[in-house]
Amino acid sequence: MGVLTLDILTTAAILFAVAAGLMIILGVMKLINFAHGAFLTTGGYVAYLTGAAGISPWLSIPLAGVLGMAAGLVIERVIVRPLYARPLDAILATWGLGIVIGQVITLTFGRGVQFAPSPLSGTTALFGVDYSAYRLAVALIAVLIAGALSALLSFTRFGLNARAVIMNETLARGLGIDSAKVRAITFGMGAGLACAAGALITPLLSVDPNMGLPWLVNSFMLVMISGVSFPSLLIASIVLGGAQVLVSTYVSPILGGMTIVALAALVLRFNPRGFSRA
Amino acid sequence: MSITHRTALTGCLVGLVVVAVAPFVLDTYLTNILIRTLFLAAVVMTVDILWGYVGILTFGQSAFFGIGAYACGLVFTHYGFGPGWALAALALALGAAAIVAAGTGWLAFFHGASPLYASIITLALPIVLTQLIFSGGNWTGSSSGLSGFPTYYWDLEVWFWLAGVFLVLTTTGGWLLVRSDFGRVLVAIRENEERCAYLGIPVSRIKIMLMILSAMIASVAGFGYAAFSNVVAPELAGFQLGTELLIWTALGGRATLLGPVIAAIGIDTMSSWLSGAMPFLWKLLTGIAFVVVIVLLPRGFAPLVGALWRKLRPRHAVAAPVVKLTLAPVKLMMQSNESASPPLRIEHLSRRYGSLHVLRDVNLVGNATELLGIIGPNGAGKTTLMRCISDGNERTDGKIHVNGVEIGRGSPQHVVGLGVGRSFQNTNLFDTLTVGECLKLARYRLDGARLFDRGDTVALPQPAMDILQATGLDQKLGEETRNLSHGMKRGLELAMVLAAEPSVLLLDEPTAGLTRPERMVIGKVLTRLTREFGLCIVIIEHDLDFVREISNRVVVLHQGAILMEGTVDEVVASDLVKAVYAGHTEKKAA
Amino acid sequence: MTNALLHVDSLNSGYGSAAVLRDVSLTIDPGEILVVLGKNGMGKSTLLKTLMGFVRPFSGTVRLDGKDVTGTSPHVMARSGVAHAPQEHTLFQDLTVEENLRLGVLSDAVFRERLPSVEIVFPRMIERLKQRAGTLSGGEQKMLLMSRALIARPRLMLVDEISEGLQPSMVDRMAEALVRARDELGISVLLVEQHLDFALSVANRFMVLKLGEIVEQGWVDDPDATRNLSTHLAV
Repeated sequence: MGVLTLDILTTAAILFAVAAGLMIILGVMKLINFAHGAFLTTGGYVAYLTGAAGISPWLSIPLAGVLGMAAGLVIERVIVRPLYARPLDAILATWGLGIVIGQVITLTFGRGVQFAPSPLSGTTALFGVDYSAYRLAVALIAVLIAGALSALLSFTRFGLNARAVIMNETLARGLGIDSAKVRAITFGMGAGLACAAGALITPLLSVDPNMGLPWLVNSFMLVMISGVSFPSLLIASIVLGGAQVLVSTYVSPILGGMTIVALAALVLRFNPRGFSRA
Repeated sequence: MSITHRTALTGCLVGLVVVAVAPFVLDTYLTNILIRTLFLAAVVMTVDILWGYVGILTFGQSAFFGIGAYACGLVFTHYGFGPGWALAALALALGAAAIVAAGTGWLAFFHGASPLYASIITLALPIVLTQLIFSGGNWTGSSSGLSGFPTYYWDLEVWFWLAGVFLVLTTTGGWLLVRSDFGRVLVAIRENEERCAYLGIPVSRIKIMLMILSAMIASVAGFGYAAFSNVVAPELAGFQLGTELLIWTALGGRATLLGPVIAAIGIDTMSSWLSGAMPFLWKLLTGIAFVVVIVLLPRGFAPLVGALWRKLRPRHAVAAPVVKLTLAPVKLMMQSNESASPPLRIEHLSRRYGSLHVLRDVNLVGNATELLGIIGPNGAGKTTLMRCISDGNERTDGKIHVNGVEIGRGSPQHVVGLGVGRSFQNTNLFDTLTVGECLKLARYRLDGARLFDRGDTVALPQPAMDILQATGLDQKLGEETRNLSHGMKRGLELAMVLAAEPSVLLLDEPTAGLTRPERMVIGKVLTRLTREFGLCIVIIEHDLDFVREISNRVVVLHQGAILMEGTVDEVVASDLVKAVYAGHTEKKAA
Repeated sequence: MTNALLHVDSLNSGYGSAAVLRDVSLTIDPGEILVVLGKNGMGKSTLLKTLMGFVRPFSGTVRLDGKDVTGTSPHVMARSGVAHAPQEHTLFQDLTVEENLRLGVLSDAVFRERLPSVEIVFPRMIERLKQRAGTLSGGEQKMLLMSRALIARPRLMLVDEISEGLQPSMVDRMAEALVRARDELGISVLLVEQHLDFALSVANRFMVLKLGEIVEQGWVDDPDATRNLSTHLAV
């Protein structure tokens, strides 16, 4: 039982960390960034490269974050901003971008699976159970990320402006907030977060050019169900992540991989607003 | 034979001739590649119909291609081979595709579904399918797929002809479909789905049926592909192929049908023809071209080609055939005069958002031959009231009866079917449709739409004819809606609502933005509608002079409840109403 | 009119193809309150939205302090010293009173400096700073709206039917706030109203908008001009 609980909690934390970047972009820009999976993959390759270069694996996470943010700012300016009035096309454009990134990665690294070294090896004992130390660390870092993001939103001026844009962009503009700038910075942050998350989780699994896609679909489903709210996203991650772990453990890992999508699709079919309080 | 049919026949024949001759002109390697490409091009055509014409961004057509391919592979590998088995496998391919498409459609296309959600469902489909294939072990061949199964080892030419004829025939069929009246309905759904719902068009049903049809075509293409290449692999059902289909469609030109087909043939052939690392580079280039096209050239390259063609061969623009108007026998409107119950009865209607009461315990009756005015300060709940009448899912509590029938939780289409017509505060119509096409659209619920050609008449009831004549729209049947003046757009919207032969008409600020003469025209029309045709009209208005001219009963709504009912003069003279409008103080003479 | 703060010339504006404002011209001098009167649907809100940059006019010019600001983005207008107190989309319901006020000023330091002055308009609001704006009563929300506009120390305030739904005592307080803003802080106000008494108690000049056109204008202290105004506003 102990292992199962830890599995559920750590899976939920990972899902949350991966989906957070998608959610802030959706909240501020009302847009789904379909390049999210590609950013994740890029972060994974950053982890692989830092490992191959002999740099401390812990550094790969902030490195990936900075790279992602820089790339995100450029991409927002060039691809996303011109498509402000065409949301479905913006999805397509970011999807196309994801493909381009995927091809560049394939050309550079080949199609094979790569591994990144884990910053923490071995297991620790927790609640009387021996559990992967790094996996626990990932969960902890995910919670810290959530905390930092919440603090940013709640206590800084930028956070206030961002919340204003999320709630009512028209009113925010009327009060002098340059919503275009807020959107740009948010996209950069979302991309940076996705890259960092990719670097964070790769040591647990592996990375290949298409690693990000299932995460994109799962993150999307989680965000659709939770709406734009960190607490809701946490709950959705625990509930759906838990379901995934249970199905994987007791039925089959392959069906487990599809659980989140299947459950979320059904919930949204009958209640398009999911768990959110809106 | 109409021009459309003649063009289609010519195109079809030309295509068949090219297909017949090509294998003898091209070398074997190219022919081999092209056979596969031709099957894929048929699938691309379905993507253009779904995405370009109807506006459903679908990543999942590859899943149906894969279903067809695996039906072939699985039956031939594990069960048997021969004409009977082939037919059985084909039936399986068609059946499985249809069922999966119906399920996907049910999941993705309900009233109020966001297009985003629908797209993600279509993305999840190929992912789920490939996962299922991976988990199939030896039966499905897992990641390596199935190969070497018995199949028809015909000459390359024969396969080329099969694939080519399949492509030409399906494309011709698709072309006729999108050029027909039904094709205009599809475009209308893409441009303004909500408006279509309020015209009584069964949007969800149409989308699901198109999805099933597209799935079946894609499945047959997959079947042929598998039978020819003798190999099935999970990539045939995967999201990468699904994405490529979208890329080819975008590059070739959305909503042109031929553009995507040609782009598919061109790009895929290139991709298969290049060797070494080049294919990846080619994929990278097409990916970049795709992003560039989406941002800068949303309609793809086809319009550029078309413009170039027109520059090289200028000729007189062939005017699109304009419809003729005929009079429809008025069936339904007369009915409401004979029934005993009032056209509209609202009982204890309320609408809450959490703790905010927008409408409270509203009770109202709308009678035939009557124009009922709804007035009140901003935020009183007037538009919400109309929304609750026209959409069964809007209200929180209460009962609404139209012609004696309760609307329950019916969708807008259902309520339209009961006899309610609604116009909106902001005119939103269909920019690229002509006036005549809009009117045909409005008749869909009653007259349907032709699937493979265009009718040259549209039957309208007298009230709709009235408006068209009064506003001069009957002279502009060939004009695109976006070129009309605001007054004409309002008139067209009214004509469209009346074309559906409602017995209750809900009008939300119909005179907003109109000039004085335009208002008078509308006023006369509305008066005629009640007196001569017995309609019950409920109108939200701010211009009280206008309301006084045409109405005999007015209801004042304030903070979600009915404040007062009476004639316009009674309401204007009432102290209570004055107080509400003036803001709680008595007005003293200056 | 070179010293006019706001100069609007032949403004035609509307939504989509609907023309709501037809050929509207007006000027406002520094330290002046102009009231635009008219019934519902006559174009008053559209005027304010066009001036603030939310609606792009079909034709005509808007000049702020001599500079052409026609069609400028709303956030630029706000930073140029124009505060908008609209009828809808007024406050952030889910943010606190304090956060709503903070958003009225671009810098948090300036906010802390000006916060005490809010008491003049909204007594004891300091006690309510942590309350969610959505839980305030209708009248209190309007007070908050006015405070937020004033705390920005704008040069021009665009106020849309602020008296709607308020009790008489609150209306008086609003009137006092506007008069003090004009006299003590030199703020000009373009006030849109249907409440005649309130309007006449604060404004220097008036204009009547009917079906998108200006049909009457004059000075408030001219009894001939104001004699027949009530007919324009009667139900």
